[in-house]
Amino acid sequence: MESLGDEPWDVVICGTGLQQSLLALALSRSNKRILHVDPNDYYGEHEAAFSLQEADSWAATHAGRSTEEDSSVEKRQPIFKNASVWKHPDAADLGLLSPHAYSLALAPQIIHTRSKILEQLVSSQAYRQVVFLAVGSFFVFDAEATDSSPKLARIPSSREDVFATKAIPVKSKRYLMKFLKFVIDHDSEEQKPVWQGQEQKLLSEFLASEFKLDENLQKYILALTLSLDGLITVADGLATIHRHLTSMGVFGPGFCAVYPKWGGSSEIAQVACRAGAVGGGIYMLDTEANVSNSPDGHEISLELSNGISVRTTKLVTSQQDALPDAQTITRLIAVVNSPLKPLFETVVEGAPTPAVAVVVFPGQITENSPIYAFVHSSETGECLIGQSVIYLTTLACRQSAQRLESALDDLLAAATPEGSPAPVSLYKLQYEQTVSAREPLITTREETRTFAFPSPSLSLTFDDGCLGPVKDAWKLVMGDTALETEYMVFQDREGVGDDDDVYDL
Amino acid sequence: MSEDSLPVLKILIIGPSGAGKSAHCDDQFDPESTTATIGIDFKPFHHAAVSNSHSKAGQERFRTLSTSYYRGAHAVILVYDITSRKSFLSMEKWIDEARSSASPDAVLYLVGSKLDKVATGGRAVSFEEGKAFAESQGAGFCEVSSKTRENVRQPFVEVVDRIVQRPELLASTAPASSTAGLNLGGLGSNYSSACPC
Repeated sequence: MESLGDEPWDVVICGTGLQQSLLALALSRSNKRILHVDPNDYYGEHEAAFSLQEADSWAATHAGRSTEEDSSVEKRQPIFKNASVWKHPDAADLGLLSPHAYSLALAPQIIHTRSKILEQLVSSQAYRQVVFLAVGSFFVFDAEATDSSPKLARIPSSREDVFATKAIPVKSKRYLMKFLKFVIDHDSEEQKPVWQGQEQKLLSEFLASEFKLDENLQKYILALTLSLDGLITVADGLATIHRHLTSMGVFGPGFCAVYPKWGGSSEIAQVACRAGAVGGGIYMLDTEANVSNSPDGHEISLELSNGISVRTTKLVTSQQDALPDAQTITRLIAVVNSPLKPLFETVVEGAPTPAVAVVVFPGQITENSPIYAFVHSSETGECLIGQSVIYLTTLACRQSAQRLESALDDLLAAATPEGSPAPVSLYKLQYEQTVSAREPLITTREETRTFAFPSPSLSLTFDDGCLGPVKDAWKLVMGDTALETEYMVFQDREGVGDDDDVYDL
Repeated sequence: MSEDSLPVLKILIIGPSGAGKSAHCDDQFDPESTTATIGIDFKPFHHAAVSNSHSKAGQERFRTLSTSYYRGAHAVILVYDITSRKSFLSMEKWIDEARSSASPDAVLYLVGSKLDKVATGGRAVSFEEGKAFAESQGAGFCEVSSKTRENVRQPFVEVVDRIVQRPELLASTAPASSTAGLNLGGLGSNYSSACPC
């Protein structure tokens, strides 16, 4: 067996976050010598998905609190912090069994069907190893709802739906339809004048002034944007709503987004790494790589934590330090002992049963940012049958942890039919997540190149913006041999559809 | 029941590099003759997807198979080389990993490979030791030679036999599930033309 240190590697990739993993996938047919290491003993880095034991130990290593005194300029801040877990004292009796059967996603994102990543997963054949599930209805939680109207109002998802719903007065429906029609071609020469000059205005104000949408309808539209602060501009808002509407029906009726089974982006990262291994890449987890001497310009020397030294001219890694004062979110993941069935009903004929539902708690004007809850059924493979996993997110502030807790209580109460026992949280994981600098960090020294991906976006929907740096890193590794038309375009490997051989018995 | 709706069995073959897994499943496993052995009882199990294990050597060398690899596996066949104690001693870690990553009901089966090397005095792990270890782990066991074809069909036959005795295993991965995955592939070329309404 050849030793890892003998020959220089064409590229060493550190970390198995989604971007590094997609790079491994992009390079998987290049015949480059690739060493892919990760200091963690799990795949996925910032986008990992954890069993309960893994979640426990991750929370222990990310419990660090940052106090005011700590946050001096020199002090390096991590992407994740303030993590804690809570377990129900009778968790096992209530059904929290086999901790391995859980797969809690650190940074779950839904993927709009028109996202470029789906296109790339299809053209690279990697999609064959990912099971994609439908994201179903979006609900708005109405704290003031009286007994006659439900606290969870489903946002109509199509024109037919708008016509059918009884929740919206007829007059409002007309305004809403007018707006939806406008959004579909808001970028056309004909419609542009409607919003030109107002690009940076708040979307909510624009909805009121230009389309006479009442407060309720504004809430619906804003909810669809999944904007973290609720203060989305007209330009961004129209683009987001446009993506939402045009994603509807691309892969089947009734849904506009998908979610990869078993932990979202983590699963894509793992499948992409597997493609890297099938292509000949060597994988080492639980292995840190440190640049061991100042590069002389010809090669980068790396000292691996297992004692081996390796050499390369190209090092691809990810940024681990938070950008000072960057946007920060608080997340709460709860495993609950109820399937919360009412949230997963199909509303369009022929639509697949959704595995993810979105519940939005609109913000209160300036005081509170909105809270978003992604409810995952056991079909996601993230919890046992009869349970669900709820991922709540809001902008971090002094009360954000408590606000998420009470939103969770409200959601459980509202999603449980009257007379049924109230669902109970069995396990909770809470933490804060922030971002690194948003641009890739590229260092050039003579013949060596170091490329560091930015940390994942905090967006709740997959951000196609993260695909650009992957392609940039690919170009950097491929050099002159990069043929853009062949980027992520692969034939099936010999034999069958994926790397499995199917035998007829 | 149409043939397309018949369950597909997913059987993984894993183990340390150089244990002879690829030879075992690529060249010597003859599905035709297995049909006869398995007989009518196995009619519903139309396909067995046998993982082509040599292709992911890059993740086996340092035992870094991702958990996603084990998704939906009905059985895991773990292969060691009977001429290498090191290979045999690594089996405990491989089994631990398979247990924690695969379905708790998945069938485990241990295979000692390179049985043909015994003739030239190459054996480093006795049959009894291999069998005792497999039994202690609740796994089936046999020794094979992909070179002489001795016993090469036995692991598959016994594994399928064990799988059908565990209906819960098939139920949990039945493709007819109400929220089976969406088909993205067929629409690969339709991105630009799909109607947004």
